[in-house]
Amino acid sequence: MADSIALPQSQPLSIFRRAAQILPGLVLLASVGYAGKFLERTVATYGKAHHLTLPNIEYVLWAILLGLLISNTAGLPAAFKPGVATYEFWLKAGIVLLGSRFLLGDVLKLGGISLLLVAIEITLSLLFMTALGRAFGLKPKLTTLLAVGSSICGVSAIIATKGAIDADDEDSSFAIAAILALGAIALFIFPVVGHWLGMSDQAYGLWAGLGIDNTAEVTAAGALYSDAAAKVAVLAKTARNAMIGFVVLGYALYWARKEGTEGVGNKAAFLWKKFPKFVLGFLIISAVATAHVFSKDQLTSLANLSRWAFLLTFAGVGLRTNFVEMRKQGLRPFVVGALGEVVIAVLTLGLVFGADHFLR
Amino acid sequence: MTQKNNSREKEISSGGFQLSLDAWAVALALALSALIWIGWIKHVPW
Repeated sequence: MADSIALPQSQPLSIFRRAAQILPGLVLLASVGYAGKFLERTVATYGKAHHLTLPNIEYVLWAILLGLLISNTAGLPAAFKPGVATYEFWLKAGIVLLGSRFLLGDVLKLGGISLLLVAIEITLSLLFMTALGRAFGLKPKLTTLLAVGSSICGVSAIIATKGAIDADDEDSSFAIAAILALGAIALFIFPVVGHWLGMSDQAYGLWAGLGIDNTAEVTAAGALYSDAAAKVAVLAKTARNAMIGFVVLGYALYWARKEGTEGVGNKAAFLWKKFPKFVLGFLIISAVATAHVFSKDQLTSLANLSRWAFLLTFAGVGLRTNFVEMRKQGLRPFVVGALGEVVIAVLTLGLVFGADHFLR
Repeated sequence: MTQKNNSREKEISSGGFQLSLDAWAVALALALSALIWIGWIKHVPW
């Protein structure tokens, strides 16, 4: 959420230069995503035509696997990197559009329950990760970054916190590598565990939204389970994302006091700056849809637009995941993150089972 | 990996009116929703 891009006014040429930079990667995202969709359809059609019972592998998984294959074999040439990095932009646009599939009442009910669970999850996760980081002798700021990344919002939270506590680039790279590697693993493990436990779409979606760190992986893990689970997962994660400003503010104040540096000036402005604006967009679209502004066909079009945006996102998740690069970042932050993730996954699973009867 | 970090933190242009990535994503989504609502975009297939 700390990102910013500019709307150049005085240099019109830079718009074209920027577009030219983004275009190759964007075309790659679209190609990989569409190839995933094509493979899903082709495998299903082939099975039907030949009376074979083939596993129904959704485009989500195909797109991620194709992306992983490219990234970890041929590698991603530098010319494609700016465009591939836009996957997070498409993720956020997709989440806003997904708001059209929620009635505001459902958002408030499920979002309220999610917020309560998120508050418990964040508190316990921060405490546990901090203790774990100390036990493993990690640097305090690296521990803070890992704690924030695994308890709230993955990469976005780490970047927002890095700026707020003035952490090293190296620490944030370690923390981001650990969180992304663990997110990629969780993306495949969560659906298997969910099916093994026979979880409902709602319970699974809530668990994925609370237990997996990065929003893109949450969305993919939800979509791998079911469409309904993806909706709930995104909503729960959105509630979690909404807390980012408060936690980052808390850490900024803590480190400013500890290091005797200048603290945060205007706290309301700080909170607004760190607040993920796509949460507001999601609520606006949901409110408009609840007011029956859109016809049924229009709602279908909005849902499809959201799917296209997510298609680019899932391709990006695979393409930006390079296991060799991640391994270079060192083992200790990864071990701390992994231990934390397992505990957080079990903890959030308990919370979800505990809250399940409120959701029925 | 690190290119993600760098790209997120880098200001793409100096000067001029600046919006966060989030705000751009919201603006695009709302603009597309408006185009669907007023009928400029009739149907989005999947």
